Amino acid sequence: MSVAVESFGAPAEAATPLISVAGLSAGYALPGGGRREVLRGVDLELAPGELVALLGTNGSGKTTLLHCLAGTLAPSGGSVMFAGRRLPEWRREELARRVAVLPQQVDLPGGFRVAELVAMGRSPHAQRLFGSTAADERAIERALRDADASELSDRWVEELSGGERQRLLVAMALAQEPDLLLLDEPTLHLDLAHQVALLTAIRRLRDQRGMAVLAVLHDLNLAAAFAPRAAILDGGRVAADGPPGKILTPELVRRVFGVPVDEAWTSLGRRHLALRDAWPGDAAPRAGGLD
Amino acid sequence: MRAESVVTPVAAARPLVLGPSLTRTGVVLGFGAVLGVAAMAAAVTAGSVGIDLGDTAGILGRRLLGLPLPVTWPASSETIIVDLRLPRVLTAMLVGGGLAIAGTVFQGLLRNPLADPYIIGTAAGASLGATLGIVAPLIVPALAVGAGTAWLGIGVVQLLAFVGGLGTVLLVYAIARGGGRVPVVTLLLTGYAVSAVLAAGVALLMFFSGRVLGAIFGWLMGSLAGASWSQLAFAAPLVGIGFVLLLVRWRRLNVLLLGDAQAAHLGVDVEREKLILTALASLTTSAAVAISGTIGFVGLVVPHVLRLATGPDHRLLLPASALYGASLLTLADLGARLAGGIPVGIVTALLGAPFFLWLLRRSRSVRAGLS
Amino acid sequence: MITRLRPLLLAVLAAIVLGACTPSGSPNTSPASLAPAFPLTLTDAAGRSVTIPSDPLRIVSLAPSNTEIVCALDACDRLVGVTDFDDYPAEVADIPKVVIAAQVDLEKVVAAEPDLVLAAGNELTPSSVIDDLAELGLPVLVLYPSTLEEVYQEIHLVGAAIGARDAAETVVADMLERADAVARAVAGAPAPRVFYEVGVFAGTIYTAGEDSFLASLVAAAGGEPITGDPLSTSISLEQLIAADPQLILLGDAAYDPSITPAAVALRPGWHVMSAVRDGSIRIMLDDPVITRPGPRIVAGLEALARAIHPDLFDPI
Repeated sequence: MSVAVESFGAPAEAATPLISVAGLSAGYALPGGGRREVLRGVDLELAPGELVALLGTNGSGKTTLLHCLAGTLAPSGGSVMFAGRRLPEWRREELARRVAVLPQQVDLPGGFRVAELVAMGRSPHAQRLFGSTAADERAIERALRDADASELSDRWVEELSGGERQRLLVAMALAQEPDLLLLDEPTLHLDLAHQVALLTAIRRLRDQRGMAVLAVLHDLNLAAAFAPRAAILDGGRVAADGPPGKILTPELVRRVFGVPVDEAWTSLGRRHLALRDAWPGDAAPRAGGLD
Repeated sequence: MRAESVVTPVAAARPLVLGPSLTRTGVVLGFGAVLGVAAMAAAVTAGSVGIDLGDTAGILGRRLLGLPLPVTWPASSETIIVDLRLPRVLTAMLVGGGLAIAGTVFQGLLRNPLADPYIIGTAAGASLGATLGIVAPLIVPALAVGAGTAWLGIGVVQLLAFVGGLGTVLLVYAIARGGGRVPVVTLLLTGYAVSAVLAAGVALLMFFSGRVLGAIFGWLMGSLAGASWSQLAFAAPLVGIGFVLLLVRWRRLNVLLLGDAQAAHLGVDVEREKLILTALASLTTSAAVAISGTIGFVGLVVPHVLRLATGPDHRLLLPASALYGASLLTLADLGARLAGGIPVGIVTALLGAPFFLWLLRRSRSVRAGLS
Repeated sequence: MITRLRPLLLAVLAAIVLGACTPSGSPNTSPASLAPAFPLTLTDAAGRSVTIPSDPLRIVSLAPSNTEIVCALDACDRLVGVTDFDDYPAEVADIPKVVIAAQVDLEKVVAAEPDLVLAAGNELTPSSVIDDLAELGLPVLVLYPSTLEEVYQEIHLVGAAIGARDAAETVVADMLERADAVARAVAGAPAPRVFYEVGVFAGTIYTAGEDSFLASLVAAAGGEPITGDPLSTSISLEQLIAADPQLILLGDAAYDPSITPAAVALRPGWHVMSAVRDGSIRIMLDDPVITRPGPRIVAGLEALARAIHPDLFDPI
């Protein structure tokens, strides 16, 4: 049986990698003293415009890796290079014009409208002392459109639902017009339709803007459909790195996630990973996708 | 299965609202300007001695604008207007505006709508400095008020208050710094602790101060009675520079509201920015306190109340705070003068505290608050 | 005592004639008969050098004692500003008040257009106010006598300042004579231990501080003053009992009718004092005069002497 592995976008160019991580280890200081090393020697490279899904169990270091890439967490070992320069050599504002982060959680201050917060995303680019340029406004409008948040633009932040807040955060990140977009579980709080819409938009943006994207996702099938490349973190190291169709084998899933799965194919030839075991109480194992 | 895109192109583009509307900005700043001018006019024309309005206008025209008007008023009226009331009114505007700006910055920086300009130790440090200055002549008579610092335009007491205020903030900052970062909560708690120690020092000095106890108490209450052109010349550039340098950082102040982490992602060097903002706001506060003592409530209430009208965007909030703070203190000082020369700090406390309580009770919605 | 005072005054005048600078705290005057009286440079009680350009016709007084001195020198009509605490002589009730509730109203002072301001030392007029007035170009003379001799000197000082030296001579001469009479009368009589009660507030007893003016007055009146802490003027009950006064003078009874000898005798712990056992407790209605260091201070001295040695004076 042939597997139809869909390929998306242009193959990565063999130019200077946008991100180059070598032997990265990083962790956090514990309140009572001592440290907890989360990453223990990660090697990873991202080419400009590449789209990568970052997968792994809870606690495997996905968010930590994201923070190291964004330059907001200092590594305890190894190095991170962005566009050929070591991260510490980048000025903060300079880096913010190239790299945008969508974290899991942001405290949004009340009293602002959606568009104003998106405008804050523009601040690394701000030229004018007191106002915004036409280019700024265009970028903000584009960001709102691309994040599917245009109709929210004059709403007050306090009035937004969870999903709407997520779209706002995405718009804020897009307003930075970054070369690299780091997304930490962007599909949290979104219903399926919006999840797909968001990821479709991200892919389109990648195509249009040539933006590289590293997205932490938890849904394996969605990740496989969305990204041409996946990196799996396990125990602070990269366990597998490559096209999801190839590396997301049932053996790997079982080893890393501890859940037995089977491959299944849809009538259109798309591969799914399906839970193998019956749910307790069910009569027989069901065939079907994990959706 | 391919999901249908749920995004349909929006036909009519919604207008991009990127800040307080022009109308709101105009109303807030316009009314503030009118209030400021009215406050100044009222404070110059009124006082414990009645001076004819025509004389007042003539004096101001002649001395300020250089108009060649005939002198039809007694010299004492001119002295009162130009040497007593005018510097006092201008000092009230400067101090009120300075304290309000500093309060705005600290409320944003510390993400705490109850912060005031004194919260990380400025008041305690300035009070200790001033108390030392007032008590020193008892021990070393040569250090009498005004000795040795005439070239600065301010006396020993004001100089020590200024140095004390600024120095304490730096001390608090240094203590609160751990591992290169200064978490907001640590800064607040350290400020509180250091202030308590310094306040105990002040109390101790007061106990032994004998005949100058009244002077110390008057300073602590905050008063504009000693206002002079020379003191204004000292404080005005400092408060002015502080205001301008803070105003141009409005974007960073807004971004800091998103939290340290997200602000860093948006390109703000968070630790450096916190230090700069703290230093500038403390410079403004210390300069104001040096010439007027520790006047309370202006720096807390003005930004807090204004935020309800302007929203938390610092681009409008900062200049509005300065304007309304200036007017408020000028009017409070007018009231203080007419009530028998009581220290203006008493007026701001008597009016500010109940007003603040009323406000807290009324305002349920956190619409324009800080989350 | 008087024979020692005259040479002192002469010595001071001699030093001035020789043009010597005097140490801070003692006022002086420039030569009286050799040069025109004004402009005049004086050193006031705070050691400040004050120049008075011409004979002051509009005088502002910032303390009741200063007002009394000016009026004693027959210049009451030249006063254009006084305090709301002034009560003597009766004419001052009509003079505009520039000090209200101990707050000096600068605007009112300036509006009175004075050419001389008489302030009070020891922060009774805050030094910042004195500086403000001086900065406005007004001649400010600070007065603060802490002994009887300084009262005489400052009356001379004010006399020189307002061109009333002769009147000052007369007033001081009269005061000296009456003070001498008191000194002669009490000389040789045994000095009882005297406790002068200034007030009792919230359990703290206030009396004459050590080396204070009040203490020196009691001594001059033929008593041995029991004194309190020089800074706070307070004395603890234990210390008072240990000092065992033979005579208690109630200065606060002049303002509070509830303070009577009978009430004092009932105070817990006071009964062990000799004065209470012997019933030697007197009400001092003259307290306002005793505690105001002005021209009437000798009347206060006399009142004290009568209270301490009633047998040595003819009944009034």
